[in-house]
Amino acid sequence: MIRSFTAHAGVRALVFASIAAAVCAAPALAQTLKFGLAMPLTGSQSSFGKDQIKAAEWAVADINAKGGVNGKKLEMIVLDTQGDATLGINAVNRLVNVDKVPVFVTAWSAVVKAVAPIANREKVLALSIGANSPDIAKLGDYVYTAFPLADVDVAAVANYTLKTLGKKRVAVIYVNNETGIEAAKVYRTQFEKSGGQIVAYETYDPKATDFTGALLKVRAANPEMIHLHGLVAEMPLVIAQMRQLGMTQRVTSYAGAYNPQMVEKAGKGAEGLIVTSLAPDARQNPNVSGYLERWKKAENRIPNGLPYTQYLYDSAYLVAALYDHLEKNKLPATGENMRRALLAVKTFDLPMTGKLVINEDHTVRKPVNLLTVQDGQFVPLATVD
Amino acid sequence: MFDLPILLQIGWTAVATSAYYVLFAIAFALTLKVAQVWNFVQAGVMGLAFYAMWLAMIRWQWPHAAGFALGLAVAVVVSAAVEAWGFRVLRQRNSSSLMLFIFAIVLAEFISYLLTLAFGTEPETLTKSIVSEVHLVGGVAITNWDLRALAITIAMSLALFAYLRFTRNGQFLYAVADNGPLAELYGISANRAYLLAMVISAVFVAAGVYLYGTRASMIPTQPLELMLFAVIATILGGIGSIHGAALAAVFLSLLQSASILVIPSAWQGSLTYFVLFIVILFFPTGFRFPAWLRRVTRGR
Repeated sequence: MIRSFTAHAGVRALVFASIAAAVCAAPALAQTLKFGLAMPLTGSQSSFGKDQIKAAEWAVADINAKGGVNGKKLEMIVLDTQGDATLGINAVNRLVNVDKVPVFVTAWSAVVKAVAPIANREKVLALSIGANSPDIAKLGDYVYTAFPLADVDVAAVANYTLKTLGKKRVAVIYVNNETGIEAAKVYRTQFEKSGGQIVAYETYDPKATDFTGALLKVRAANPEMIHLHGLVAEMPLVIAQMRQLGMTQRVTSYAGAYNPQMVEKAGKGAEGLIVTSLAPDARQNPNVSGYLERWKKAENRIPNGLPYTQYLYDSAYLVAALYDHLEKNKLPATGENMRRALLAVKTFDLPMTGKLVINEDHTVRKPVNLLTVQDGQFVPLATVD
Repeated sequence: MFDLPILLQIGWTAVATSAYYVLFAIAFALTLKVAQVWNFVQAGVMGLAFYAMWLAMIRWQWPHAAGFALGLAVAVVVSAAVEAWGFRVLRQRNSSSLMLFIFAIVLAEFISYLLTLAFGTEPETLTKSIVSEVHLVGGVAITNWDLRALAITIAMSLALFAYLRFTRNGQFLYAVADNGPLAELYGISANRAYLLAMVISAVFVAAGVYLYGTRASMIPTQPLELMLFAVIATILGGIGSIHGAALAAVFLSLLQSASILVIPSAWQGSLTYFVLFIVILFFPTGFRFPAWLRRVTRGR
C-alpha cells in the first residue's frame, strides 16, 4: 500500500511538473514572432548579402530593444541562398516547412522566381526586397516586392542618358540570367521608345570571369555610352576589362553597381559611372546619417550596396508592422493573414527608406536618385521622380 | 562594323590572353609526355597556388614578388608530393592509366572542394585593381599587362626549350619519355625524371596562375575549367609535343576571340566544349602542322 501510494505520488508529481514546464514555456514560445530571411551568406554575391543581413539584424535588435511588437520579440531566421536558385529553394522549403514562418524576405531575381511557387502553394507571404526583375510583379498572389523593380530605375537611367545627356547610340551588356535579361529588355525598350538606338546588345555568362568577347563586340559597335546590368561581383571586372580594351565610354548601371568595391577594383576606370539608388540619402532622410555612423563605428566602412541595406533594415520594420496589424485584429499568424495585412495596411512609414506604398499590381514606386563616380567617390547627380 | 582596328584588337587580345593558356598547356603536356599521366591534379595545384598568392598579396599585404614566391613554393611542394606519394605509389602497384587518371581527377575535385570551404566562392583577383596602363597603337589597345604576359610566356617557353634541348637533365626527361625502362637500364632514374617534370610543370602553373589572377578573377572551381583549355591544346598539338600544345593554345585563344565575329557572345563559353568534341573525333592524334613547324616541335 505504501509502495502504491508512493508510486502514484511520483506519477502525479511528474505530471504536475510537466504541466508547469509547459505553462512556463508557452508564453516564451508565443512571444517570438518569426520571419525568415533567405539571402547570400556565402558565395559570389555574399559581399552584398552579408551587409544586408547585418542591416536586418540590427533592425530586429532595435525593434526588440524598444519592446518588440506589443511586448513580443521579433525573431529572424537567416538561411543562405548564395544568390542561387537551387539553394534558395532549399532555404525557403526549410523556412516554410520546418520553421513554419508565415512570411519570409528574400532577394536576387533568380531566387525570387525559383521560390515563388513555394510561397504560392504553401500560402506563405514572400517579400522580395532588392531583386529587380520586372517579372517579379507577376509571380503570384503571395509574392510582393517592397523594392522598386527595374522598370522604375532602369527606365529612369535610360531616359536620363537620352534626354539629359543627349546620347543617342548606346550599347547594352548584361549578365545572362534573371537579373540581367529582363532589366536589359526594360532599358532597350525604354531607350528605343524615347528615340534612341541600341547599337549592341551583348550578354555574358554569370560564371564568366573574362568578358573580352562580349566587350569586343560592344567596342566594334562604337557606342556613345554603355549600359551595364550585371551581378554585384563581376560588374567591377567588366568595367576594368572594358578600360583595358581601350573603351573609354561613360557607363551607366543600376543600384547593384553602387558599391565601394566598384571603385576599388575598377580604379580610375569607374570615373563617370552613373548608378541608381532607390533609397534616400542623408540629405533626404536624417535617419540615414545615424545609420552610416553606425556602420563606420561597427565595420569602419559604409556598407556594400548601401540602398539595399536600407531596404533590408526596413524589412524588419515592415514585418513588425504586419505582425502588429495581426495582433491588433487578433488574427493568427498565417501566410494568408500576413498577405491580407499587407494589403490592408498598404502604406508603411519606414525609418530608412521613408513612405512605402504597396500597389495592387504587386509593385512599389520610389523616386530614383542618380549618382556618379567623381574622383573616386559616389556623388549625387540628379533625382528622377 | 568590324573594321581593321577591331580585327587587330581581337587578334592582339587573343594572343595576349593566350599567355596563361600556353603556360597551363605546357605544364600539362610536359607531365603527359614524361610521366604519361593525364595530370588533372594540375587544377588543384592551380587553385592552391592562386589562393596562396592571394593570401600573401591581398590579405597579408606582402610585396608581389614575395606573394608569387609563396604561390610558387606551394605549387612545387604539392606537385612533388603528388608525384612522390600519389603517382609513384600507384605505379609501383602497377596501376592502370585509368586508375592514375581517376586518382588525379578525384584529388583535383577534393582540393577544389577544400578551397571552396576555406575561401568561399566570391571571385578574387591578385591585385585590388586589375586595370593596367593602356597604350593605343593604331587604334589597338595594348596594356602593360599584355606586354608583361607575353614577355613572361615567351621567356619561359624559350627557357624550357633550351633546358630540354641543351641540358643533361633535359635529355634525361626525353629519354624517360621515349622509353622509361630502357632509360633506367642506362642509369637514368625514371622516378627522378617524373619528379622533375612535375616540378617544372608547377613552375609554369604558378606563372600562369599569377598572370590569370592579375587580369581576371578566380573562384575555386575555375581551375578545372581552365584545365579544359590545356587538355584540348595538348590533344590538338599532338600528344607528346610540348611546344605543339603551346601553339595549339594560341590557336584556340585566337579561335575563341574570333568566334565573336560569327556567333553571339553568349555562346562563346560553349565553344570550348564544341572544339573538344571536334578534336577528339577528328584530330585524336593532333593537328597536322606544316612540315617545317613539325621539325621544330617534334618530340619537344
